[in-house]
Amino acid sequence: MTAATILAPEIGPAQRESVLGRTNPLVKLGIALVWLVGLGLTLDVRPPLILALIALVAAMELGSIHPDTLARRLAPLALAAILIALTNLLFSTHNPDPAATEVLRIGPLRITQEALEAAAGLGARVVSIVSVGAVFALTTDATYLVDSLVQLGHVSPRFAYGLLAAYQAVPRLADDLTTLRGARRLRGLREWDPRLLVGLLVRAVRHADQLSIAMDARGFGAGPRTSYRLVSWMRLDASVGGAALVILIVTLLVSR
Amino acid sequence: MLLVVGPSGSGKSTLARAVAALLPGQFPGEWQGSLRLDDVELAREDGAELEADPPITTAGLGAGIVLQDPASQLVMERAGDDVAFGLENLAWPRGTMRPRVAEALAGVGLVGFEERRSTRLSGGEQQRLAIAGVLAPGPGVLVLDEPTAQLDPSGAAAVFRVLGSIRERRAATVVLVEHRASLAWPLADLVLALDDDGRPIDVGPPTDVLARSGKKLERAGIWLPDVVAGPPGENPTRTKATKGAAATSDGSASKRVLGPTTVLDVTELRFGFAPGASVLRSVDLAISPGERVALVGPNGSGKTTLLRLGLGLLKPAAGAVRLGGRDPRRLPPVQLARLAGYVVQDPELGFLGESVQEEVEMGLEPEQVRYAHDLAQRLRLPLEEFAERSPYRLSGGEQRRLSLVTGLARRPLLLALDEPTFGQDRRGHEALVAALDELVGEGSAVLAATHDERFVRDATDRRVELADGWIAADEPLDPRKAAS
Repeated sequence: MTAATILAPEIGPAQRESVLGRTNPLVKLGIALVWLVGLGLTLDVRPPLILALIALVAAMELGSIHPDTLARRLAPLALAAILIALTNLLFSTHNPDPAATEVLRIGPLRITQEALEAAAGLGARVVSIVSVGAVFALTTDATYLVDSLVQLGHVSPRFAYGLLAAYQAVPRLADDLTTLRGARRLRGLREWDPRLLVGLLVRAVRHADQLSIAMDARGFGAGPRTSYRLVSWMRLDASVGGAALVILIVTLLVSR
Repeated sequence: MLLVVGPSGSGKSTLARAVAALLPGQFPGEWQGSLRLDDVELAREDGAELEADPPITTAGLGAGIVLQDPASQLVMERAGDDVAFGLENLAWPRGTMRPRVAEALAGVGLVGFEERRSTRLSGGEQQRLAIAGVLAPGPGVLVLDEPTAQLDPSGAAAVFRVLGSIRERRAATVVLVEHRASLAWPLADLVLALDDDGRPIDVGPPTDVLARSGKKLERAGIWLPDVVAGPPGENPTRTKATKGAAATSDGSASKRVLGPTTVLDVTELRFGFAPGASVLRSVDLAISPGERVALVGPNGSGKTTLLRLGLGLLKPAAGAVRLGGRDPRRLPPVQLARLAGYVVQDPELGFLGESVQEEVEMGLEPEQVRYAHDLAQRLRLPLEEFAERSPYRLSGGEQRRLSLVTGLARRPLLLALDEPTFGQDRRGHEALVAALDELVGEGSAVLAATHDERFVRDATDRRVELADGWIAADEPLDPRKAAS
């Protein structure tokens, strides 16, 4: 066991067999995309928060994800959302604008109503994106995703398998980084240095290289191929997709 | 079955890749001579590029190759899918794949592993899975490039059982590159021995090669099966190591004194990467000056983690680590580097320089540089020849020796090594044992995580065995007993 399990958690049987787990990954990707575009239609704070809430409830109810798992995964991301909002609040161009409504002044720091609204809107959007992304990651089986991309999305196998390889390489690179930092420290050098990235890049390229040699050696890309697992659209995909669309429209209408 | 042996850097991997049709093409370089596999011309004598449509691939030729690193050749997330990957590429009808996958997994002793995560398997299981994947389409030629180099003894034994059964069934022509002589030689029908420059020393049935060229092979630094090399007691390195142990630690690890003279003191150490997933449960370990400790245990038992914790590179969940009496996590890098050296498992991850010379000299005091050059010379990386080379372009064995030079050059109080003998021929092994002897003679201590029983026997005087995050055994190795 390594740091791998934290960065790329395995999807357990319960999650895989759940409603969201059985829903085609392409449908889930589509939902994420449509919701994102839909949220672009409004500047209101409420719709993104409502959608984030629905996504999280769905993750627990339809995705069999334990609330603890969800909380652990989202905690650092939620912190990032707050920081982004805060930065935007403090450095907003609305603040020095004399026409804007002042709500707070501490010494030279002036916070305006307009800056507050913009920052809240941005923070809410980050929260919704992060939540939807986490639900996708926690309910999606990588093999199912790749099979769907190739068989239903007609994406080139080379691209899809490359994606899978990159996804599987992340935990390994995290482990490599620990070793690289350690090697620097034990030779009397600062742990963090731009050269670290060079080393990591060399590793990433080397991994990718070896894997692609191994794949080519096994006949990948040499001709037409068949599929071990057959993936097809199901009625469930239409139901989940339709429900997500209705949720988006209702949310946008209600908060109008 | 053809066994290819030779010193590190003699071109064994290159030959393996050529036979698997990965050369020329996948790797840059010059090519001369011709190569035919099953009447298909892979390379022409005049070195001209071959135009083929569809392109020639290893699998398309009815061949397959298994590489050293198990993890970097597994494509899919699940074992069954990974075995099926090669069948998919050859467009096997869907209905025929499932039974073939089950059969291939059973053939390597992984019955019912279809839904298992390939990343969760042990190194030995991963390597057997890789073999199953390559064998599934039924290739006529199977090439294996040091398939057990990264495996613990039980994993290696399991892989060799699979190779034994392949040979018995005459299921495929096998080309095997392997350092584990005692396991590999008995299986071979033919042995090809290469010298330092990649020229063949001899080729023929193993007994003939041993009889004809045994001495030459030994001089070239090639590992020979134990029967021929003689018992370890007659091995010059062992005698040397015994002397070193006697001079520095009274020849007995059990007499070691705890307290301020301890180089590394680990007490009730616990560690886990995630809550509920312990790697180390409660580890106590004290290492005194002059001790050489072998840290053994299966893949995944926490050896590397313990090394990293001892060097202050990871934060313990509980317990204390003292390195030279100090908490290594609080030491500034410069002081830490004076106390300890770390030779990481994968040499490439330890490289910081762009040339061998830069790598050897990095961060050293002027008076240490000369010693470092001397070390490089003794570990067969003379700077006159290697100075300008890129560390990333050395052979596996050369990379390992370069990382040993950088670890030894500062003569640290504690030298932590992770699989130091990986990919080493006999000369590399002997030079390492001698260099460690010298270091320990100066009062330093050595802690080496290793699968290599020969290294444990020749270079260490105490054996600490990790299993499931516990210390399962901690015993002195009596040099006299080990030598008898």
